[in-house]
Amino acid sequence: MSSDPLLRVENLKTQFFTETGTVRAVDGISFEVYEGEIVGLVGESGAGKSVASMSLLRLVESPGEIVGGTIEYKGTTIFDLEEGPDGDLRKHPDMLSEAAMRERIRGREIAVIFQDPMESLNPVFTVGGQLREFIELNRDLSSSTAKAEAIRMLREVGIPDPEQRYEEYPHQFSGGMRQRVLIAMALACEPNLIIADEPTTALDVTVEGQILDLVDDLQERYDTSFIWVTHDMGVVAEICDRVNVMYLGEIVEQAPVDELFYETNHPYTKALLNSMPRPDRTVEELTPIEGVMPEAINPPSGCRFHPRCPDAREVCTRVHPEAREVDRADGHPHRAACVKHDVFDVGYDESVPLEDGADAKPSGGETEAERGSAAGGGHASTDGGESR
Amino acid sequence: MGLFRYTIFRLLQAIPVLIGISIITFALANLAPGDPVRLMLQGQEVDEELIRTIEARYGLDQPVHVRYWNYMTGLVQGDLGYSIHRRRPVADLMLERAGPTLLLVLSAYVFALATAIPLGVLAAKRRNKPADHVSRIVALVGVSTPSFWIGIMLIIVFAVQLGVLPSAGLVYPWQPPEAAGHSGYIEHWIESIRHLILPMIALGTLQMATLMRVERTQMIESLQQEYVTLARAYGVPERTILRKHAFRSAQLPIITIVGLNLSTALGGAVLIETVFAINGMGRLFIEAIQQLDYQLVMGITMVLGAIFVIGVVITDISYAYIDPRVTYGDRE
Ligand code: SF4
Repeated sequence: MSSDPLLRVENLKTQFFTETGTVRAVDGISFEVYEGEIVGLVGESGAGKSVASMSLLRLVESPGEIVGGTIEYKGTTIFDLEEGPDGDLRKHPDMLSEAAMRERIRGREIAVIFQDPMESLNPVFTVGGQLREFIELNRDLSSSTAKAEAIRMLREVGIPDPEQRYEEYPHQFSGGMRQRVLIAMALACEPNLIIADEPTTALDVTVEGQILDLVDDLQERYDTSFIWVTHDMGVVAEICDRVNVMYLGEIVEQAPVDELFYETNHPYTKALLNSMPRPDRTVEELTPIEGVMPEAINPPSGCRFHPRCPDAREVCTRVHPEAREVDRADGHPHRAACVKHDVFDVGYDESVPLEDGADAKPSGGETEAERGSAAGGGHASTDGGESR
Repeated sequence: MGLFRYTIFRLLQAIPVLIGISIITFALANLAPGDPVRLMLQGQEVDEELIRTIEARYGLDQPVHVRYWNYMTGLVQGDLGYSIHRRRPVADLMLERAGPTLLLVLSAYVFALATAIPLGVLAAKRRNKPADHVSRIVALVGVSTPSFWIGIMLIIVFAVQLGVLPSAGLVYPWQPPEAAGHSGYIEHWIESIRHLILPMIALGTLQMATLMRVERTQMIESLQQEYVTLARAYGVPERTILRKHAFRSAQLPIITIVGLNLSTALGGAVLIETVFAINGMGRLFIEAIQQLDYQLVMGITMVLGAIFVIGVVITDISYAYIDPRVTYGDRE
């Protein structure tokens, strides 16, 4: 695409410093969001999707911290660490201050919708009061104009009797209605980007469908960009323009949605797709992904997916692939982090296949220990791809 | 059920509890050793005839269930009984002494709330930082130190050593200044406050410490709620989050603690009144016990029990008014 991206994330790293060790929740992800796009961030729970989305607003809570990378929004620097003259990392002078983040970015430019509509609204204030407060704050409106705007938005997201519901408390709303309120809240602040963090996961399928239709409709009318965080490939298919697949803190595949589904280039994405029901397959063909995702505190050496990957070969335990462009579609790159592809050229074809399933035991004490030593060894030798 | 009906319903529910309290206090007073008439006439040579006359006069010759019935009908009409020892109605005796106790307890609560809430919020905000550690130590000391000891220490430091504050008695702000020998209201009220400071702190410290701990825990919990994160994500300043978004829901348990601790505070007042020589209900209670004045003991116990029960009911009701999620007992 020719225009500059609305949001550009480069090599973003967010870590949690816990007593048991450093958790690399987000480990060097890069992606862009262009105007008017819905970009998916997909992966199993624990992949670092939510941490990544909170990092974009610089709202990672202690003991978590953004430790590296660049986040640029419309040319302003939300986050940037640069190397100082003494080799230390330091914050770039152009980086927005905390106060500027609060006053200029959060709500005003980038709004969020959280997963759990039950927990996202304050139980002791009226729904309308909460809406009005955020609108007032982010659009510099007077209290009465903000109230009118809040009621208008409630109507817009399909809440009947908005004048009356304005005065009601969250517990008087159903889950689906609350999620509509949160969508109204996000749109009412007129941001250019909305981060939706699994907003339909807590809802039943019918309501989920309604909400997705609503967002699709509103997105077109308001021309807002979305980052849609989800674990559900079905939702991705329905709503996203481009997709980033995350595994253990990394983006392993990035492509426009059709390419991702039909020209899948990463075994993990393939596994995710095979595990979900699709209209073009029968239920018998569903295969759940083997094993469970390891903890981000001690990721496997080499390619982090290798213990579960059906295509894993010996080289995968040694080489850590970063996402590289393997194809192009619609002017967007199709990136994948898998050494199978020729661009990596690390000798995948000559490498011996790993015994199928041998490494894919569910996690247990023993496996944990194995992983520990494997990871240690991996770091000591060729932990290719990325410099640490 | 509407809020109004809920209020009535809760008040009606308190009635059986109050009857229970009356039975227990009545039984205790009647089972206790010592015959009130002989005690009143102690040391005097009396004949059985006189004792029977006196007993008949106070209804003491009746069987116990009749006496209980008489006592209850009196209670309903606001008659708390008659102190044979002091030859005055119990209600009059208590009314005379209620003012100082109320003044003491109320001021202790004001002191406790005014210090505990800001300190608790601060501790939650600076969790695990020095300010938090200091406040936790203060709370721990406050909870574990007996109030009378705090009172004595305060007297030693501020009254005896420094000589800046009086150590005994209260000056009642509702009295005319002349009665206390003061020339004007300003002087009178200043003196009232000066007399109140030490007993107020002595009685209020325990409440302050308890409330501060609750406030801290509640604020920490509510600061971790998703709606607080949401408020941050919408650019709400941290100040507003502390004062509004996290604050409101954190205060509900505070109301409960205040209501439930009313009995502890009244119990503490008994000791503090003794330490600071305040002529309140607490001291009246102790005197009544020492003089084996059963009618008076019974009356005070009854009133304190009623205050406690009503305190709980008021707590429940105010909870229902403040927390929109509370449903009132039955179906929505
Ligand atoms: S690099 Fe190897 S282990 Fe990783 S996804 Fe590709 S084939 Fe599988």
